[in-house]
Amino acid sequence: MAVWDLSVTLEDLGAEAPPITVSVTSDLHIGGVILKLVEKSQVRRDWSDHALWWEQKQQWLLRPSWTLEKCGIHADARLIFMPQHKALKLGLPNGLTIRVRACFSGSVFRTVLGICKMLNIRRPEELSLLRPVEEKKKKKDKDLSEEVYDLTDVPLTSVHSLCDPVLTDLPSCLVSRPCLYNGMPAHFADSPKTEKVYKIRWLDSSRSLMQQGVQENDRLWLRFKYYCFHDMEPKYDAVRLTQLYEQARWAILLEDIDCTEEEMMLFGGLQYHINKLSLSEPQAMTSTPAMDDLDSALQCLEVKLDVGGSSPQDLLVRYDDSKFHITPKRLTLKGYKQYWFKFKDDSISYYKSKEESLGEPIQQINLKGCEVAPDVNVAGQKFCIRLLIPAPEGMNEVYLRCENEEQYSRWMAACRLASKGKSLADTSFQSEIQSIRSFLAMQQTNPSTNSSQTDDNINTHSLVSPRYSKKYKTKQLAPKILDAYQNVAQLSLTDALLRFLQIWQALPDFGLSFVVVRFKGSRKDEVLGIAPNRLIRIDLGVGDVVKTWRYNNMRQWNVNWDIRQVAIEFDGNVNIAFCCVTADCKIVHEFIGGYIFMSTRSREQSDTLNEELFHKLTGGHEAL
Amino acid sequence: MMDDIDAMFSNLLGEMDLLTQSLGVETLPPESSSSTSKEVNFTMGFADMNVESLNELEENDFDALMADLMADLSATENKLVAELEEQKDAKVANPDLPAPPRELSSYVVPSLSTTTSPDTGLNTTYTPLADSHIPSFSPPQPPQHEKPSMEDVEAQIKSDKIKLALEKLKEAKVKKLVVKVVMNDGSSKTLMVDERQTVRDVLDNLFEKTHCDCNVDWSLSETNPELQLERGFEDHENLVDPLSAWTRDSENKVLFQERTEKYEVFKNPQNFYLWKKDKKTLKDMKDRDKELLVEENFCGPSIIVPDLEGVLYLREDNKKSWKPRLFLLRASGIYYVPKGKSKTRDLVCFVQFDNVNVYYGKEYKNKYKAPTDFCFVLKHPQIQKESQYIKYLCCDDSWMMTLWVTGIRIAKYGKSLYENYKTSMAKAQLTSAWNNRSTTTTSTPSTSSTITNAKASGKANGYAPQPPEEPVANIGIEPPPPPPLPPAQILPPHPTVKRSPSPNATTKKLPSLPTKYPPSQATIFNLPAPPLSQDDISFLPPPPDSDFPLPPPPPDPAFCPVTNRVPKPAPPPRQLYMGADVPAPPPPPPPSFTPTSSVIKTAPLPPKRTTPMQAAPPGGGDFMSELARAMAKKRANQ
Repeated sequence: MAVWDLSVTLEDLGAEAPPITVSVTSDLHIGGVILKLVEKSQVRRDWSDHALWWEQKQQWLLRPSWTLEKCGIHADARLIFMPQHKALKLGLPNGLTIRVRACFSGSVFRTVLGICKMLNIRRPEELSLLRPVEEKKKKKDKDLSEEVYDLTDVPLTSVHSLCDPVLTDLPSCLVSRPCLYNGMPAHFADSPKTEKVYKIRWLDSSRSLMQQGVQENDRLWLRFKYYCFHDMEPKYDAVRLTQLYEQARWAILLEDIDCTEEEMMLFGGLQYHINKLSLSEPQAMTSTPAMDDLDSALQCLEVKLDVGGSSPQDLLVRYDDSKFHITPKRLTLKGYKQYWFKFKDDSISYYKSKEESLGEPIQQINLKGCEVAPDVNVAGQKFCIRLLIPAPEGMNEVYLRCENEEQYSRWMAACRLASKGKSLADTSFQSEIQSIRSFLAMQQTNPSTNSSQTDDNINTHSLVSPRYSKKYKTKQLAPKILDAYQNVAQLSLTDALLRFLQIWQALPDFGLSFVVVRFKGSRKDEVLGIAPNRLIRIDLGVGDVVKTWRYNNMRQWNVNWDIRQVAIEFDGNVNIAFCCVTADCKIVHEFIGGYIFMSTRSREQSDTLNEELFHKLTGGHEAL
Repeated sequence: MMDDIDAMFSNLLGEMDLLTQSLGVETLPPESSSSTSKEVNFTMGFADMNVESLNELEENDFDALMADLMADLSATENKLVAELEEQKDAKVANPDLPAPPRELSSYVVPSLSTTTSPDTGLNTTYTPLADSHIPSFSPPQPPQHEKPSMEDVEAQIKSDKIKLALEKLKEAKVKKLVVKVVMNDGSSKTLMVDERQTVRDVLDNLFEKTHCDCNVDWSLSETNPELQLERGFEDHENLVDPLSAWTRDSENKVLFQERTEKYEVFKNPQNFYLWKKDKKTLKDMKDRDKELLVEENFCGPSIIVPDLEGVLYLREDNKKSWKPRLFLLRASGIYYVPKGKSKTRDLVCFVQFDNVNVYYGKEYKNKYKAPTDFCFVLKHPQIQKESQYIKYLCCDDSWMMTLWVTGIRIAKYGKSLYENYKTSMAKAQLTSAWNNRSTTTTSTPSTSSTITNAKASGKANGYAPQPPEEPVANIGIEPPPPPPLPPAQILPPHPTVKRSPSPNATTKKLPSLPTKYPPSQATIFNLPAPPLSQDDISFLPPPPDSDFPLPPPPPDPAFCPVTNRVPKPAPPPRQLYMGADVPAPPPPPPPSFTPTSSVIKTAPLPPKRTTPMQAAPPGGGDFMSELARAMAKKRANQ
């Protein structure tokens, strides 16, 4: 058989180094080529991770036993001998960038499996890689000296081995929740909305990174792609939960998903709470341990006796020294009249004077179920508590005016607890006071002192989307967030994260990935929304949902790869077909197949991932 | 110091014992003549009597009440005594043991599922007063730990005493109301309700008193004649809370009635979640799809609220006019779209649900000149009179009203609503199983569940997961793509959660429930006899053995819904017909039916209650056996 020369570039020798030429015959197998190559290169090292890449065809030659003839390689082939694992800069949902050694030769799906294994993220099938939005304006990025956490030294174990996660105690960056850049990262804020939403930048999960033009040290983002998060278990899912929270948080802050003002304030309150908790106890993924039985019993007894109220408890006495002003709103606008107030259990009583406070009160107001709202102007030294107290005839509006911040904080906290039916003995009382104080402090900051913010202060604008930070000034925003915060302040860190995700998932538009398509028989572009359980068709002009198709009515779907058309058949002889405008139809195909795969996972199943099924459902050409 | 505390608790305990005992003794004579003395007794324990003055009660009401009360007290007594004895017996109590029971009412269905091991705690607290609220409480025996040290033992004893004292304190402070419940027929029953009882408990109590069929639609509701409002209580609510909001002179009433809309969303979820689709699609919805819908919306990490939007009329404050507005329902509240603003971005919050309840408004066309009579109202439960804080909304038709009210309930109560439904279903099935036990043959839930699975996977009609088949048609190089292998099964199986189907579903699928499953002791699947339609006849199973001894109730009601998953059109797998030629199904090893304590614990109804129930089903039973015979005949012909 004829001997011919095959030239191969050795990547490790550098780009300028001339290719090495080896003499081969067509029946030589790939393994043999590599052997000759290594011998001729005279470089002694571990070559086990290296493989041949065929540049013109953009494919790996990974089967050592195939002959050159079988691979179709002739003398004109430009081959590169390079490692299969290379460094990759990976942007995580929490905004951090890590450098990892990722597999460039396997399918992206497997690459993600490997990365997630290293990062200790369970259910890696829910994640994938995508190209970042192009950062056009570099200068804005300059001041953000980006910190890259290098994890390339961490050995990547084989994806097959199901041994313990490589990193048992992960770098804290993976579970940290940094309040990024005190606002929007520049490259987020700049990208035009339409591009961001409709341009799908997901990589093809059944082809390798190399095949999709990703180079060593390129930047990619790791994100949750499929919005069904199976079997979330905070005990094992610290990283997953944190990263998912960050992704959800950014989706909300960047207005990728619409939410109302009320919802935004609740998200803001939760973020504030989560930030606070993670600052104080960075790794507190603790479930509150069951209280010691005897202790809780005693405590319970204590409280019960208080309620019995046969003798006044010193617990409550210290609130008796507060003087209060009260006016029922309807009487006069200005005149606040001074009364002696007493807070007991969940009621407020007031008296003409301190001396009379042993007798019958003028009125006793039960605060349970009432609405408590602040009416505060720090600059004007106005500290009012607005109470809306339900009564058979309607709501009674009562304003309590406090003399100073200190008094206000304590009474406000007491009113809030009482409105939830809790007594002052409740453990959350002190923390409630604290948070009211810090929110008051927030309103004190005027522009001149802005730079010298204390640690206690939060930047309200980093908690809500630009829409709302434009709409309100800080001192308007703060009470709104505080208000929402009150309702979640009791949650543990994990519960707060879960609550955040819950509310996010309850938003009407949750879980939708959009792609611009052209339906068969239609002349204009429309938007196809792909959700975990359905497809929706949206009129691009009006933004209305025109039609909904659910996967469980789907009989089959086909992709014609030549005309790049997706055709779907539903029950009752409903057929639709469309071509994708802003993404490859493979992406849409993957989404549909992926969601169907996700729904086949069940709780009973073990943790083993049915990779074969995933590949069949999402693979396209390659699966055949 | 510790000794002091110890002594204090002992004293306290003693006192509490005395107190409870004296209460019991004083109320014992039921015909005690002076009603005033009784009232004194009541007011001691039951602080708030504003719902129904005792003086207004009629004689028989009063007797019933007394019986309740006595049962209550003796139940408490027994419980405490039993507890004390237990402590003596087993010096060491486990601190992790559940605290003494909070519920007095005995037939809380969920508790049934915990009693699967019959040998724990059977001996403890069965009292002869079987028909009122007797705690079915049976403290599980303390697990045998390795011997704890003496200090541990002492600490344990101490903490147990504390718990006991707490329990008694609580007992003494429990707020109770005497509630007059108006029945469907206009008559009324008077009940004692304590503040720990949920609406579910009270319903169970009423089931016993009324011998109704216990279906899931039964509900308690309140009416407010002054505002012309009505609201069905949710099963998990405490009944005393909302009643406490009533004013002293209130004409409000508590009704016991069937409300079909109560759980309609679980029976026909498509009407709520896919309400925009055309009527026919909704009507033809397959049961499996319905289950999927419920699963999707109620079993995920967060509850999905139906996507509602539409024009509703809002009653303007203080004006007599109703203005149309575009409203949207979201999980966080009701929003409206201001004029000329976009639907997605400029929503204005109309109301959030934390502090309000949703009520049906009755005849508002007359009362408030509403455009239609289909109105609903949002208000704080405390508000009882006309007020600017009440929000009135009016819908075009009754269906929209149901949609909105149900949607609001889902947003407000979330998962509880679904839990309530499951509990109700379990209760209803258990009851009718009990009632139909003589006319039904049996089947173990586990058997049928495997059958269901077998069928599901055997049929590639879109639900089976079957990875082995080519799932997707991906056409390669040939341009005109002939659809390759029919990739039918694209659909996820969702094998996870087996949920009870709606009663409708039950009746529909009824015929395919083969009676020839290996019989077992459980009769869960009661056939809710009445609603059999004609075309189902031919499918009915062969006659059940009517001499069949009463089977004990199913061990775990939570499983029974599974049996209903057999898809109707598919004939059961071959092997199930094995017994088809046998004239009568082999009677199961007759479980001797003796009223052991295990029976009492699992059965919702005490045996004596069933006698009157016999009157209802016999027609159904005959019908059933006729159908069954027809079925057998048909099979024989095949």
